[in-house]
Amino acid sequence: MKKKMTDRERTFLLITIPVLLLFFCFNTLPLLKGFVYSFTNFKGYGSYDYVGLRNYKDLLADARVGKSYLFTFKYAIVCTILVNIISLLLALGLNAKIKAKSALRAIYFIPNILGGLVIGYIFGFFFTYILPAIGQSLGISAISSSMLSRTSTAWIAIVIVGAWQSIAMNTIIYISGLQTVPDDVYEAGSIDGATGWKSFKNLTFPLIIPFFTINMVLCMKNFLMVFDQIMSLTKGGPSQSTESISFLIYQNGMSGGQFGFQSANAFVFFVVIVAISVFQMTFLGKKEEQL
Amino acid sequence: MRKYGMAVFGWMAASMAAVALSGCGQAENNGKIQIEIVQYKPEAVKAFEELERKFNETHDDIELKIDSPNDAMTILKTRFIREDYPDIIGIGGDINYSNFLDSDMLMDISDYEGLSEIQEAYLNTAKELEFVPEEGTYAVPYMANAAGVLYNKDIFDEHGWSIPKTWDEFKALCEDIQAEGIQPLYFGFKDTWTCLAPWNAISVDLAPSDVCAQVNRGETIFTEQYREVAVVIKELLTYAQADPFAYSYNDACTAFARGESAMYVIGSYAVPQIKTVNPDINIDSFVFPASNVAEENILNSGNDLQFSIMENCPNKEAAYEVLNFLLEDENVQIYLDDQNAVPCKKGDFTLPSMLEGMTEYIREGKMADYQDHHYPSEMSVDAMIQTYLMDDSENALDTFLTRFDTEWVRYNRDLIQKVQEYEAKGGN
Amino acid sequence: MMNKKVGKKVNWPLTILLMIGCITVFFPLYMTIVIAFKQPSEMTNDIAGALAFPATWSFSNFAEAMRVTDFWHSLSNSFIITIVTIVLALLIHSLGGYAIGRNMGASKFYRFAYLYIVSGMFVPFAILMMPLVKQTAQIGIANMFGVIVLYTVFYMPMNLLLYSGYLKNIPMALEEAARVDGASTWRTYWQVIFPIMKPMHATVAILTAMGTWNDVMTPLVIMSGSGKNTLPLAQLNFQTQFGTNYNLAFASYLLALLPILLFYIICQKQILNGVVNGAVK
Repeated sequence: MKKKMTDRERTFLLITIPVLLLFFCFNTLPLLKGFVYSFTNFKGYGSYDYVGLRNYKDLLADARVGKSYLFTFKYAIVCTILVNIISLLLALGLNAKIKAKSALRAIYFIPNILGGLVIGYIFGFFFTYILPAIGQSLGISAISSSMLSRTSTAWIAIVIVGAWQSIAMNTIIYISGLQTVPDDVYEAGSIDGATGWKSFKNLTFPLIIPFFTINMVLCMKNFLMVFDQIMSLTKGGPSQSTESISFLIYQNGMSGGQFGFQSANAFVFFVVIVAISVFQMTFLGKKEEQL
Repeated sequence: MRKYGMAVFGWMAASMAAVALSGCGQAENNGKIQIEIVQYKPEAVKAFEELERKFNETHDDIELKIDSPNDAMTILKTRFIREDYPDIIGIGGDINYSNFLDSDMLMDISDYEGLSEIQEAYLNTAKELEFVPEEGTYAVPYMANAAGVLYNKDIFDEHGWSIPKTWDEFKALCEDIQAEGIQPLYFGFKDTWTCLAPWNAISVDLAPSDVCAQVNRGETIFTEQYREVAVVIKELLTYAQADPFAYSYNDACTAFARGESAMYVIGSYAVPQIKTVNPDINIDSFVFPASNVAEENILNSGNDLQFSIMENCPNKEAAYEVLNFLLEDENVQIYLDDQNAVPCKKGDFTLPSMLEGMTEYIREGKMADYQDHHYPSEMSVDAMIQTYLMDDSENALDTFLTRFDTEWVRYNRDLIQKVQEYEAKGGN
Repeated sequence: MMNKKVGKKVNWPLTILLMIGCITVFFPLYMTIVIAFKQPSEMTNDIAGALAFPATWSFSNFAEAMRVTDFWHSLSNSFIITIVTIVLALLIHSLGGYAIGRNMGASKFYRFAYLYIVSGMFVPFAILMMPLVKQTAQIGIANMFGVIVLYTVFYMPMNLLLYSGYLKNIPMALEEAARVDGASTWRTYWQVIFPIMKPMHATVAILTAMGTWNDVMTPLVIMSGSGKNTLPLAQLNFQTQFGTNYNLAFASYLLALLPILLFYIICQKQILNGVVNGAVK
């Protein structure tokens, strides 16, 4: 002990250590156990054998896994951009001086709490029957047949539904971020003649950058792990074009008998997203400091 | 240290809440032998509740508990992980059964007398599900279902169409139907699993019933055995609605129920869903005629529900007693009255009316199991079939068959090795 | 469009624009409601029929859905899980966010703790599932309490991210003032920092509630032996392998949607009331 801990340091440690322990027990420990399974041919029950690195070798050679990575990343990137733009605009709008503010906020929140079965049925109906009918009557060939039945468009349909559902959550975070922006910032700004886009870019946005970081990270995480929308809309089809990584991990690891192999897949996937997010957080963290 | 009192107190409160909440009591044992069944058909919960009540009223020494959970497979697998095994499981005769058996989780019940009352065909179906032939018997087939072509009887009667016996007759029928301006077939191929319905019905006619086992033994390849099957299933698309990949199982059921198509290639299991939309619809069924030799066309029927006793069930005699009860004629009938099913027990039961066209085959035992009961689910054969059906390129057929063979080897590697080791040792 | 904060007048064009946007929500909601009131025999594939009003506006589907799901029991289980999880999240995660967020700039240990926990967010649940099933059974918490513990851990990364992000906008000066007055760090936290994070508490509460309220997987695998159901678990009753009763299911979803919507509206008020304007300077 070089010196006695201060009250502040000691309190922080007393808080942090139990939190870390709790987290270790119910997240890291099972993850490590799962990691061990990734070296086996475990089916999820019964006896199993250790197979060394076979699952990891298979992973590299598996075309289906490769395709799922491409699909998942394409989906996540498009969704993250789309959702962040829309929810930031929506948050600004809902935070502005408008009529029926509470009602509007409640309405825009609803998509996030509709269950998977509802989403599957309603949007299934929309893409299968309503949209093609609109397309045919307007003569737009791009939408005159179901978007969900073509490999070229099915992923766009999932983007639309995924974005529609997640906007609520990101809007809430942006709204709470906008609450930390004091009114006098705007007053000061308006004296300087900063209005509209300029006021947003120079005054508001720098102050809500921490929330922008949070939203980017949460979006990337949610969309890279896309599962519910796939299950309710396409179940991986048509022609296996919308199989996401989580879909494969769950479908083949839990429902199927590939638990060992999919544990390897899950572990690699985990390392990949952590790498991306750490990069994202450090990059955006630097931006935060610059401003 | 008082300053930290609050922090310590907080953590203590949290852990005390933990103890309080987790202190749920265990169900007590009242001296009776407890038998627990987990069965995987939640739709049959009413029938099983009645059977459970009836059993407990008539038995003083055994207490029966029947669980009919939703998503039973997940629940069973998680219970196995917890080593919390039920005494009896009621599952389908599919790859899950093969896997459980292969993992030595089921008990040999060859000394169970009730087996003699089960139709031979269904016992064989269960036998064929074994990866490598096991000594003994591990399942009591209880109910079967059948798949083929459901047709709208009113439409057929109105036009005087007769039931086709060969593939050419079937195609001619479809053309007649089309000529009348009626949609012959309706598919819900957006739900990939529905692709397996015609696939199974066709493959029982055109491929050997143990084709998967043959492949595992290295005696043949799918490219040879499934070529015809793949050709026939793609021809069906000619008579389907436009863009069948846009519609779900539910859409197809609704369309058929509303008389939008004359036929629907699906299993008897779809009838309840169809009838919710149109309770008055007059449905009958026939065996899918995929071959031009009428005798080769057999019924696609598999074990929908079969009971197995778990290896570590402590009360084998009590479990047999429960099985005896379930197999009593009047109790089989309780199930039949609630669900559309075909009993596996020998005897005269009232079959559901929509299976009339298939009864002859059932009585004669001219049937074979669903081929997909032998496919590992992670191989996603249903999605592969959908991909093939959507593939317009010229070599679609060869692409599909080659892929079938390569993926089969990849997903069944451990199994093939096991089978071939077994064969090398000289079989039995 | 962005200068609305300055003017005190109601921004009508924006209001109208936002109201038009509501159609994207109203349309699916309308279909859900209509289907919830229809009978299975009214289900059809043609557009006019699907959008038409039900033949009668009878609440029989709702009554039946409540019976099938054992509504009040399932609802109270869902309530207990969600509420306890939220309370634990607000206490533990905010403390953690405070301790780690305040120190991660200067200390490598806290920086590590931050990245360690936040990266836990990216562990696919499927890989954790089997080990967790075993672990919870071994320590005897394969029940509602176990589900709560797991939620508290699952949402820790996200909430830590939120709290420590929010703290960046709360100046140290506030704490220092309290410290000068002789208050301990522990007291300062509860008296100064905790109240000031009210908008973030409300946000965390909503996000955590959204995640737990509709979740099927965790209770399915953890609680399946306990004989208790949550609402989403009970709702699985409407789906079987070969048939789905959409009418009852949708009625039940609407019933499940109301409590969380109410909760959201209450929390929204907190986010607004807790404006830290002036306090933060």
